[in-house]
Amino acid sequence: MMKKLMKVLALMMAAMMLLGSAAMAETDLEYVKAKGKLVVGITDFAPMDFKDESGAWVGFDADVAKAFAASLGVEVEFIEIEWDNKILELDSKAIDCVWNGMTLTDEVKSAMETSNAYCNNAQVVVLAADKAADFADVPSLSGLTFAVEAGSAGEAVIDALGYNKVSVTSQAAALMEVAGGTADAAVIDALMAAAMVGEGTNYANLTYTLALNSEEYGVGFRKGSDLAAALNDYFKAAYADGTLIACAEAYGVQAALIAQ
Amino acid sequence: MLNATNLKKSFDGLGVLRDISLQVNEGEVVAIIGKSGSGKSTLLRCLNNLEKVDGGTIEIDGQALVKDGVYGAPKEQRTLCLKMGYVFQNFNLFPHMNVLRNLTEAQVCVLKRDKAKAESYARELLKKVGLADRETAYPYQLSGGQQQRVAIARALAMDPEILCFDEPTSALDPLLTQEVLGVIRSLSKEKRTMIVVTHEMNFAREVADRVVFMEEGVIVAEGKPDEVFDSEKVKAFVGLGD
Amino acid sequence: MELIIKQLPIVINSLNVGFLQTLRLFFVTLLGAAPLGLVIAFGSMSRFKPLSAVTRVIVWIVRGSPLMIQLLIIYYFPGLVLHNPIWGGGESGRFWAASVAFIVNYACYFSEIYRGGIQSVPVGQIEAGKVLGMTKGQIFWRIKLMQVVKAIVPPMSNEIITLVKDTSLARIIALQEIIWAGQAFMKGSQGISGAIWPMFFTGVYYLVFNGVLTLLLGRVEKKLNYYR
Repeated sequence: MMKKLMKVLALMMAAMMLLGSAAMAETDLEYVKAKGKLVVGITDFAPMDFKDESGAWVGFDADVAKAFAASLGVEVEFIEIEWDNKILELDSKAIDCVWNGMTLTDEVKSAMETSNAYCNNAQVVVLAADKAADFADVPSLSGLTFAVEAGSAGEAVIDALGYNKVSVTSQAAALMEVAGGTADAAVIDALMAAAMVGEGTNYANLTYTLALNSEEYGVGFRKGSDLAAALNDYFKAAYADGTLIACAEAYGVQAALIAQ
Repeated sequence: MLNATNLKKSFDGLGVLRDISLQVNEGEVVAIIGKSGSGKSTLLRCLNNLEKVDGGTIEIDGQALVKDGVYGAPKEQRTLCLKMGYVFQNFNLFPHMNVLRNLTEAQVCVLKRDKAKAESYARELLKKVGLADRETAYPYQLSGGQQQRVAIARALAMDPEILCFDEPTSALDPLLTQEVLGVIRSLSKEKRTMIVVTHEMNFAREVADRVVFMEEGVIVAEGKPDEVFDSEKVKAFVGLGD
Repeated sequence: MELIIKQLPIVINSLNVGFLQTLRLFFVTLLGAAPLGLVIAFGSMSRFKPLSAVTRVIVWIVRGSPLMIQLLIIYYFPGLVLHNPIWGGGESGRFWAASVAFIVNYACYFSEIYRGGIQSVPVGQIEAGKVLGMTKGQIFWRIKLMQVVKAIVPPMSNEIITLVKDTSLARIIALQEIIWAGQAFMKGSQGISGAIWPMFFTGVYYLVFNGVLTLLLGRVEKKLNYYR
C-alpha cells in the first residue's frame, strides 16, 4: 500500500519536473516574448510608480518600463507586490522584473540579474524639525535610536555606523516610529523623504537632514536572465536619443538620472 | 411467531449469549429477567437486529432474519424487522421533533402512509397512552414517564406484530414507573405479543404468560410465572434484587 | 483634522475596493470550505483505515502549520519548484491561490467541528431510527442532521468570525484586501503619503461586518433553541 503510494508520488514528481524543464529550456527573453507580456513588479512609490486619476500606473519607472516593453514588442502589466517577497515573486515567475526605485545593494545584486544603475539616491536622516539643528553631523547622531526598514539600505548604513536601531516592516513604518516618538530618527530614501516629510505633508513636524551615503537604483530580473542585457541596450539607446531625459524631467528626477 | 434457536454472541471473546433458544407465540407476553450482565438485553437487541449474532437462527413469522449465523440483504433485514417494535430504556425520542412528529416520521418515510392518515393514527395512539393533549410538546418538556409513553406510542404506530421492551422503567422513579407499567398492562389485555426485559418482578409475575430467567448467557429457568419464581435459583435472585 | 477630511473620500473609496476583495475571499472560502469540510469529516471517520489515516494526517498538517506559510507555498511553489507558474502574476491568480489556501485550511477546521457534531449525536438516536425501519440515509437526513447542526452552530460561528479577520493574511501574496489598501496610504498612494489613520480605520469595517455576522449567527442559534 505505502510502496505503491510512494511509486505514484515519485512518478508524479518526475512528470512535473519534466514539464518544468521544458519550460526552462528557453531564455527569459524568449519566455517573455512568447508570453507577449512583461509583468513588472512594483509598489506604490511616487514619483517612480504611482496611479494617476484614472487609476493607470504612471511615474518615471512605469513610463520607462512601458517604453522598454514596447521596444520588445510585448505588452506590459504592472503588479503590486509585497516588497519583502520580491525575490520569491521573480523566481516563481509571478513577475518578470522588479522595477521600483530599487537600491542596488549587494544582497539585491546576488539574488537578481540587475541592470545598469539609472538613478542616484541617498539614505537620509529624518527627525523632528525642532531638533534638526542639534544634529548637524554624523558623530552627533551616535546617541540616537534609529527606525529603519528591515533589510533596507538604510539599515545597512546604521549597522555600518554601529548606532542603535529598531527594525520595522517598511520605510513608512519607520517614519511612523519617529512621528510617534518611539524612535528618535529614521533613515529612509532621499526621494521618499522629499515626497513625504515637511510642510504640507502628513509629517509636517519632521524634516530630513544628513545624507549618510549615496547609492543607485537599478532594475532586477531573474538570476541569469538575458532581459538585463536587453534593458541595458535599451537604456543606452533611449539616453542617446533623449527620451530618457525627457521622461525624467516629466517627473522631476532629471537631476538624479545617471548617464548611460 | 418468533423462533430463535442456538443463538451465540460474544464481545471480545466473552460469551454473552451461549446457545440460547427462545420461542414466542402469538398473543403471548414473555418476561425476561436476570441480573445485569446476564445477557437479557443483548438477547432482545439481537432479536431486533440492533446487534448481530455470531451464530444461530432467528425466524420471524417463518422468515429468517439470520440463518445459522448468516444474514440476508440489508433491505430484507429492515423489512422483516418492521414486524418488531422496540421500546428503549432511555426512550430515545427525537429531540428536534414534537410528539406528533415523533409518531408520524417513520410512518410517512418508511411505511409511506400519507401525512394526514399518519397524524390521525398518531392522535389515536396518543389518546391510548393518555397524552392526547401533548402532541405539540417537545420531548424535553415531558417527564420521563410521559416520554416513555410517547415512545411506546411511536413503536405502536408502526403496527408491529411483536412489541419489545428493554427495561422500560429502569430510568424512571417509582411514581412514574407505575404510569408506564399501566400502559403495558393495558396492552397485554389486548392480547398483544410482547417481550419485556424487566427488573420489576411483581410486574413480570402479573402480566407475563411466561417468564424466562437468564444467567451468564444461558436460560436457566423458563415457564409459567409461578413455577419460575418458585425455583431455588430465581428465589435467590429475587431475594437479592429486593 | 482638516487634512483627514480632505483625504476621507479618497481613502474611503480605496478601502471600499479593498473590503470588497476581503468579502469576496470570505464568501468564496465559506462556500468552498463548508462542503469540503464535510467530505474531510467523512474521510476521517471512515472505517477504511488507510483513508481515515491519510485524512487525519492532512488535517494535522493543515491545522498544525501557519496559514501564512500555506499561502506562500500554494502561490509560489508551482513557479519556484515546478517552474510552471500556474496562478500567473495577476490579481485574479493571486485571489484564486488565496482562495484555495483558505478553503483547504478552513475545511480542515470545519471537518473537526463536523466530526465532533456528528459524534455528539447519541447512538440511541440512530438505533431508534433503525428499529423504526429507517435506512441509513433517512437516519442521517431526518434524525442526525438537525442535531448535528444544533451542535455545530456555536463553534462554527466562532470560526466564521475568525475567518473574517484571517482574510488579512492573504496580503502576504499581495492580495489587495482592505488592510493592504489602508497601509498603502502610509507609504504613499494617490497623493496621500504618511497617513496612518486609514490603516486603523479598516478596523471599523471589520467591526461592522462582524457585528452583522454575530447578529445573524445569534439569530440562527436562537432559532435552533426550540428544542434541547
